[in-house]
Amino acid sequence: MIDPYYLQQLTIGISLGMVYALMAIGFTLIFGVLNVVNFAHGEVYTIGAFAGIMAIAAFGPPFLVIVFIVLAVGALAGFGLERLAFRPFRRFSDEASLKSRAMREATLMSSLAMSIIAREAMELLFGSEFQTIDISYLINKPIELGPVTIVNGDIIIFVVSVLMLGGLQWLLKYSSIGLSIRAVSNNPLGAKYVGINTDRTIVLTFVIGSMMGALAGILVGLYYGAVFPSMGFIPGVKAFVAMVMGGLSSIPGAVIAALVLGVAESMSTTFVSSVWADMVAYLFLIVTLVFFPQGLFGARRERV
Amino acid sequence: MNVLEIEKLSLRIGVQDILHEITLGLADKGILAILGANGVGKTSLMRCISGIYQPTAGEIRYDGENIAGLKSHQIVEKGILQAPEGRQIFSNMSVLENLTIGGGPLGTQELDHVLKLFPKLKERLKQGAGSLSGGEQQMLCIGRALMRKPKVLLLDEPSLGLAPMLVRFIFDLVEEIRAEGYAILIVEQNAKAALRIADRAAVIEGGRIVMEGAASELANDSRVADAYLGGHVGAQA
Repeated sequence: MIDPYYLQQLTIGISLGMVYALMAIGFTLIFGVLNVVNFAHGEVYTIGAFAGIMAIAAFGPPFLVIVFIVLAVGALAGFGLERLAFRPFRRFSDEASLKSRAMREATLMSSLAMSIIAREAMELLFGSEFQTIDISYLINKPIELGPVTIVNGDIIIFVVSVLMLGGLQWLLKYSSIGLSIRAVSNNPLGAKYVGINTDRTIVLTFVIGSMMGALAGILVGLYYGAVFPSMGFIPGVKAFVAMVMGGLSSIPGAVIAALVLGVAESMSTTFVSSVWADMVAYLFLIVTLVFFPQGLFGARRERV
Repeated sequence: MNVLEIEKLSLRIGVQDILHEITLGLADKGILAILGANGVGKTSLMRCISGIYQPTAGEIRYDGENIAGLKSHQIVEKGILQAPEGRQIFSNMSVLENLTIGGGPLGTQELDHVLKLFPKLKERLKQGAGSLSGGEQQMLCIGRALMRKPKVLLLDEPSLGLAPMLVRFIFDLVEEIRAEGYAILIVEQNAKAALRIADRAAVIEGGRIVMEGAASELANDSRVADAYLGGHVGAQA
């Protein structure tokens, strides 16, 4: 018989992993279509959390309404981010610019800049401390399942994430926008020849990825009752690790890696102080980079 | 009546003049072959027509309307499709997905048509496109372009890297689809085969048209024969 303590840590680990997965997908989708890392993704997560608690403070809507508000704000954030930090660097479509490292790395800088601006602006507006949240909205009510005690947030996070991930998988496989995203990600030049509007596809990728990131933000905010302007940094790093472990552009890879990461972190608190749990992610990252430079599930992708 | 007219088209990328005042006409239901060595601007011309490159000057008129400078997806919507150099298929997606994505809003009728032209693809619909042989990838590339029922089909080096038997298959196919009413612009290194099926032909050197005329005339021209046909082959025709 397994010690209930481990079952409990496992549930926590899975919720944590699901949140990383939602975040990691935003990274993965955007890396897929543009071959760049979006460093402002962590701030989208924070913006999602703030949008949620502001909605709660303003008119106390039911939980599902909050989810939709956060999704909408996330979509808007993704749209704005693409316009401000990414599109200006796509003006040049000749081959030399497309292959240029400098052009790619320019968006690394511009997205990092957006991330700093957004974080500082939120600190100016709201202060850097934890925001007050109406306690009745927190999703940490204990539920006893025999010897194991979980909170309702574990279930909510699991259900919402599975729905989002399932929805995304369906979208990518069967919808025309999903096919376009995969086509642009597979061969951007080929996508132009079949008449795909690549700019529109890229915007939609940002919108979808950011919706997931924003949703992860509010779920975690209500789970821990902790919403503050720099909350997006650590999960952003974790999601980045999950993306690298998953092989950069593989969505199933990123989800599995995120779950492994989440479970490993929550289990590690058994053996080391929880302060050190963050080290697990960095350890995973180093091991992946040294021994599996293609990622655990990475396809051998051609570098253009 | 020309369905596609290119007039004084110039392209400059950075400091380099790639194309210089290209003027060409593609007749309705005709085949125009563009010949030339590597790096003279043939593919750049094709990319300008498809909206991948934005020309610096000049016009591309399609049914009388200037389409130069439109985005690639707008040009596809107008009915000008290209089977590009290097095929540019979606290797991570299935053959069927490659075709459906090419179909845009059009549906199963075109799919049946394409699969009748390329029975080989029908056996491999569920397979990943990256696992196809070079010849099959070329078929997929042309098939994908045909899924939109284009009025103008652009073929960039369709026989490149293919075995002789497949080259013949591709050229037979080009004649067959022309018979269905497509206007075709074909860029080829294999000048002999291209001149056999084309009505008209042009030779590009250094980004300029240096010769243009009926395909049969060019095939008999000694300069073309020396440069592209490996001796005076036209005389045998």
